[in-house]
Amino acid sequence: MSDESTPRPIDFSELDPSRNELRWARSIDRLASRGFAERRKRISVEHQLLSWARPVLAVAAALCVMVWTAGYLVSARRTAMVSAPTTAPALQIATWAANNKMPETDDLAGTLGGNP
Amino acid sequence: MVLTQEKTAALVQRVLRGEAPAFAELVRAYLRPAYSVALSILGRPADAEDVAQDSFMKAFASLESCHEPERFAAWFFQIVRNCARNLLDGRRLRDVAPDDGKILEFASPTSESAGMREALLTALAELDEQKREVVLLHDLENWTHAEIARALNISEVHSRQHLFRARQILRAKLDGHATEPSEESHV
Repeated sequence: MSDESTPRPIDFSELDPSRNELRWARSIDRLASRGFAERRKRISVEHQLLSWARPVLAVAAALCVMVWTAGYLVSARRTAMVSAPTTAPALQIATWAANNKMPETDDLAGTLGGNP
Repeated sequence: MVLTQEKTAALVQRVLRGEAPAFAELVRAYLRPAYSVALSILGRPADAEDVAQDSFMKAFASLESCHEPERFAAWFFQIVRNCARNLLDGRRLRDVAPDDGKILEFASPTSESAGMREALLTALAELDEQKREVVLLHDLENWTHAEIARALNISEVHSRQHLFRARQILRAKLDGHATEPSEESHV
């Protein structure tokens, strides 16, 4: 494939879109302006979204912490109430003792949580 | 105007930073090559111009996904090809005749028109798509084989072979038409 055997270049000037220089230059300017405007708009939208996203995320995180803390406290209080020992049987027995009264077996069993 | 890989990469970075003059420079450097690639698929200069411009808008919108800015041409030409093929598919679906009745599609290269433009389009229709890309980028855009090889992801040897064969076929088809360029470019 030497240079001597290579067919000569083809003249494609008839298909050259830039033959009309003025029209071509206008096309380039219009395209560049459109591209620049679109990109700037996009960058601007992304910037706005980011600037909104940060405070919104911070507020959401704070709300999450508050809700979780409140839930934890309520849950802890319920647990404490359930597990706290009741003083009712002791009071009853103390009352019987103070009155020097011997309780019935059923009453004693009922007071101590057993089946009468 | 053919830009080096380094200059292209720098331009792409400037466009990403939103520098207005860079947009025009990038368009000036790659609009004509994009037209050549689109023309090699579509066969209609008017459609090829539209596709080249649409492709640029798409490229600007998704420039962040061009992970190798120094290989912008290859990335951009793929967008051009996709746009051109979409248009071609739409055209086939609509099954419409060419809009002005003068410009030929590669799919129907049976013109008896005497016009040089029509003769060129008809002759180009005899080539496969890659040969059309190579011969248009080389003989219309004056790109070197190294530049063509990088942009089309082929070897320089293949580029030379494609050009050789394309010119042979075109010369045979265009015999009798004045197709010698006034200024001969190197091969």
